Amino acid sequence: MIRRHPLRLALALIAVVLATLAWHNRAHLQAFPDIIGAYSAKEYCSCRYVMDNPAPYCAGYVKQWLPLTRFLDDSTNKRVTAEGLGRSHSARWLDVRQGCQLE
Amino acid sequence: MPIPVLRRLLCAGALLLPAAACWGETWPERDWASRPVAPSAALSEFETYAFPARDDGTRQGIRSDAVVVIRDGELIYERYAGPTKASTPHLTWSMSKSLLATTLGVAYGEGRFKLDEPVAQYYPAFQGHPSVKLGHLLNWASGLAWQEDYEYAPLRSSVVAMLYTRGRGDMARFVAEHPLDAVPGTRFRYSSGDSNVLAAALKQMVGVQAYADYPWQAVFQPLGITSAVWERDASGTFVGSSYAYMTARDLARVGLLMQRGGRWGQQQLLPKAWVEFNLTPFANYQADPAKPGEAVPGGHWWLNRHLAKADKPWADAPESTFAALGHWGQGLYVLPEQKLVVVRYADDRDKTYQHNEFLKRALAAFAAPEVQP
Repeated sequence: MIRRHPLRLALALIAVVLATLAWHNRAHLQAFPDIIGAYSAKEYCSCRYVMDNPAPYCAGYVKQWLPLTRFLDDSTNKRVTAEGLGRSHSARWLDVRQGCQLE
Repeated sequence: MPIPVLRRLLCAGALLLPAAACWGETWPERDWASRPVAPSAALSEFETYAFPARDDGTRQGIRSDAVVVIRDGELIYERYAGPTKASTPHLTWSMSKSLLATTLGVAYGEGRFKLDEPVAQYYPAFQGHPSVKLGHLLNWASGLAWQEDYEYAPLRSSVVAMLYTRGRGDMARFVAEHPLDAVPGTRFRYSSGDSNVLAAALKQMVGVQAYADYPWQAVFQPLGITSAVWERDASGTFVGSSYAYMTARDLARVGLLMQRGGRWGQQQLLPKAWVEFNLTPFANYQADPAKPGEAVPGGHWWLNRHLAKADKPWADAPESTFAALGHWGQGLYVLPEQKLVVVRYADDRDKTYQHNEFLKRALAAFAAPEVQP
């Protein structure tokens, strides 16, 4: 059987290697989708409300190769929400000394 | 009557001059004394390098946001680009680490800790790592299995996880959960984690009540820094690795403090032994031959020191040069022999910018003729 289906064996081996890698990196993989939303919310908040840069500049400043699926800059409450890879995160400006923090 | 004699008479007599002037030194008060350099060919060459046409769309190449140059306590040059202004408290990124070291230096002078004490004495979450000492953290030599890479290995990057995902609630605790993979104090491995553990240890050193104000009370207010912002994690610990902000002019004050050996006016704010520790290469540091321009780690500052098996990393700058350095091109360079402090804020998204080239042109443009190297 092995001789007749070398491709199938190769695919099975690859699947086992990937599964092992995924298991080994499970903590990293689980957190990975959170990076884009959290990074964008936090760094936009600081760019806009700590450094006081214009909103369009800050949008470019946090732009990554992965697109955001949702973005909200609530300027009244100085609260920024960003969603990417299915995970949403918010950062809020606290005060003049503490700047922004992820919620 | 010669000026120095006149000054001495005035000082000795009616205290007509501020104390600092009696030392024959200029110090910034509410703002810097300004004495702009005259235009020159060297200055244009510096500006050609530091401020090329900027494209915020592609974000390619050298993208300086601000440069401020202080010579012997006077502001001799400043220029801003992009959205950054003289009033912008710019993100310092990892220059925060050196600001943390300066804050810790004041605590050290107050006798609140010693370098050879275990971290766990001030930060109980480190009880699992009883052999890691405070000095090891300051040399980025904790021995913890830490991955500093940001953009090129985001999946396994410890620093990305610390700042944005698994570690963000309590960054120092996240660091403490890492195992050791080297004997503490034997191996340099640059780590934002080590810095945030120091920021957490400071809490117990100065007391929870005083902690939130401590960087202001200890460093910013004495230096006249009014623009500082220092973000914290959800547990209230300063993000000592990454999130301090201030104007370029204010950051230059920290540079002047260090240029003058930790002294501000007549006050020795940082003990001389502390500054000496900051500026001493980590004893077990091995330069990577593949990365010849990498600065030498001292005590949470970066040094241009020649080592037994490696030339100084910035060939065209004097060996006494040291710096606070941060992600995306941030730099606070101090050249004590030339009495120069150079702040550079930037948003460099690629590796075009070179410290050595910048310093070489800065020296040609700004060093007084008699002290050009």
